[in-house]
Amino acid sequence: MKIKNTTLMTLTLALGLAGSVYAAEEGDIAPDFTLPSIHAEAADITLSDLRGKVVYLDFWASWCAPCLKSLPLYNDMYHRYKDQGLEVVAVNVDNPIEDGTEWLIDTPLDFLIPADPDGVVPELYEVFGMPTSYLIDTDGTVKLVHMGFRDGDMEVIEAEVQELLAAQ
Amino acid sequence: MKQLPRVLALFLAFAMISGCVEVRPWERGYLARDEMAWDSDPLESALNDHIFFSKEASSGGSSAAGGGCGCN
Amino acid sequence: MKTHYSRSLIALSTTALALPGISQGDAPPLDSTFSYKFSNYKEDDLSRTEAPFGELERYDIDVHQFQLITPWGRNMALQVDGNYESLSGASPWFTSTGLDGEPVVNLSGASGIRDRRSELAIGARYYLENGSIGGNIGYSEEDDYRARYIGLSGERHFNNDLTTIGLGFSHSADDIFPTDASLFNRVASESKQSTSLVLSVSQIINQTTTVQTALSITEQSGYLSDPYKLFDVRPDDKTQFAWSSSFRHFFVEAEAAAHVNYRLYHDDFGVSSHTLDFAWHQNLPDDWRIIPNIRYYTQSAAKFFTNIDNPFTSSDQYQSSDYRLAAFGAISGGFSVVKNWGVWTGTLTAERYVAKEKYSGYTVALPSTALVSYTRLSVGFDYTF
Repeated sequence: MKIKNTTLMTLTLALGLAGSVYAAEEGDIAPDFTLPSIHAEAADITLSDLRGKVVYLDFWASWCAPCLKSLPLYNDMYHRYKDQGLEVVAVNVDNPIEDGTEWLIDTPLDFLIPADPDGVVPELYEVFGMPTSYLIDTDGTVKLVHMGFRDGDMEVIEAEVQELLAAQ
Repeated sequence: MKQLPRVLALFLAFAMISGCVEVRPWERGYLARDEMAWDSDPLESALNDHIFFSKEASSGGSSAAGGGCGCN
Repeated sequence: MKTHYSRSLIALSTTALALPGISQGDAPPLDSTFSYKFSNYKEDDLSRTEAPFGELERYDIDVHQFQLITPWGRNMALQVDGNYESLSGASPWFTSTGLDGEPVVNLSGASGIRDRRSELAIGARYYLENGSIGGNIGYSEEDDYRARYIGLSGERHFNNDLTTIGLGFSHSADDIFPTDASLFNRVASESKQSTSLVLSVSQIINQTTTVQTALSITEQSGYLSDPYKLFDVRPDDKTQFAWSSSFRHFFVEAEAAAHVNYRLYHDDFGVSSHTLDFAWHQNLPDDWRIIPNIRYYTQSAAKFFTNIDNPFTSSDQYQSSDYRLAAFGAISGGFSVVKNWGVWTGTLTAERYVAKEKYSGYTVALPSTALVSYTRLSVGFDYTF
């Protein structure tokens, strides 16, 4: 598992922060970040690299039951729309990271999964509940903030995703 | 009950402990564990409340127990 | 024969589907869970010194508990609870003096008692952004007793979900119609009501520690005596207070949680009590968990407790030799083993309870000869679907 050098990451965040000071609300530019992938062999993930795509950003942990319910559904959604320009980024905040990697063994997911055990990025976004997801348009603007995951939420989220993909 | 004002004051003082440490939503992994719940086995708590009610004179005060019970 | 305690406070416990302060915004469950537990507890026989005449064997009770919790729509959860109990054995009928003038106990009925009780409760809970509200209703029935109860509770999170305040209300109405009333000159039909209020505050202290404190007040009125005890006369109203505090801490290195609970109680029958219990939840490899626990309890006697019944007391003077109103202490300890296999969880529990005059933290002016000890075994499972 490659752990990014703290100084380098802080610098990256500092540069990213120059663009937005506040927590991410609808209408704000989504704060940029660079995090290592939870998969040891995969490349680091930088949010701004995904500019031009519709990004569904989610924060999850293995101890959060609604998160675990939502992830396989997000995987299905990713497969349905990735060719239309959808990217799913699900930031894992498990500490220790092993709790997250262990859960993933039984549930393969094909989208980008950054690892943030120190919780730097949820702090940046001022996440106020688990799970919280942000639907970001092709310009990097937050279009939808969704907290929690309950019965019927998937339909609402997918409708918003379709709308954004159609608009690009 | 003579001690009621004192008990009430103690209760309120205890209840006023707030924001000792800011625990962020993504830092609640340990608190989310089954064994950290107030009541990790509701049927067991209900059964114990039931049995103790029937063998002792005290009752009440407990929270989140789940499961109805009666007494013999 | 049997002592029935109001269902009111028990009703309160069934309304609390959600556990305070911790889960992600206090959300409804996404899966259904069915739970079942079977228990047997058997009270120790009396000794010949305690009961020179008649029966020695006390209660032997089987309990079946069922629970179903299921999500309903986006914001709600439903809960159904059922209990079925069957009881056999005997219970203290009256106390008298033995051959040396010391107090002795006499158990009821040469043939013993058999009784069955069924109970059903239904509840619902609605989850909002910052809290939840719920209610339940229940009904319990046996040969000589019927209870109906209702409960309502709500809780709200504050302070970034670090603090939760809860309020609960419950009320029950019970009817008692003792068996063989005319034969034994018992009351034919009586009723009692009970109303409770509970206020609780829970607080997250840090990533591994939570505390909770709750204050409850209960008012009972109606027929509060035990119709099966020959010379039992109690006041027709009773006010009770209980203050409970709980502490939970997770030890990361040990992968174990410590639970400590303390309750202070007082009522206007004159009974005060302290309860302290401690449990250690130890996780083991392969989804096993062991939970040893210990409890200490002590109470003072009711003002009108006597260990030798006076058959000639006038009806306006209160009296009871019910051991439950005596001063005593009790120590109990148990052990549970839990194993999880995906959607199934199994639990096995053993517990031993011993009440003795010498364990009492309060002065024992009149020791009861009918204090009880028992052994309990339980087996249960949960299934999530």
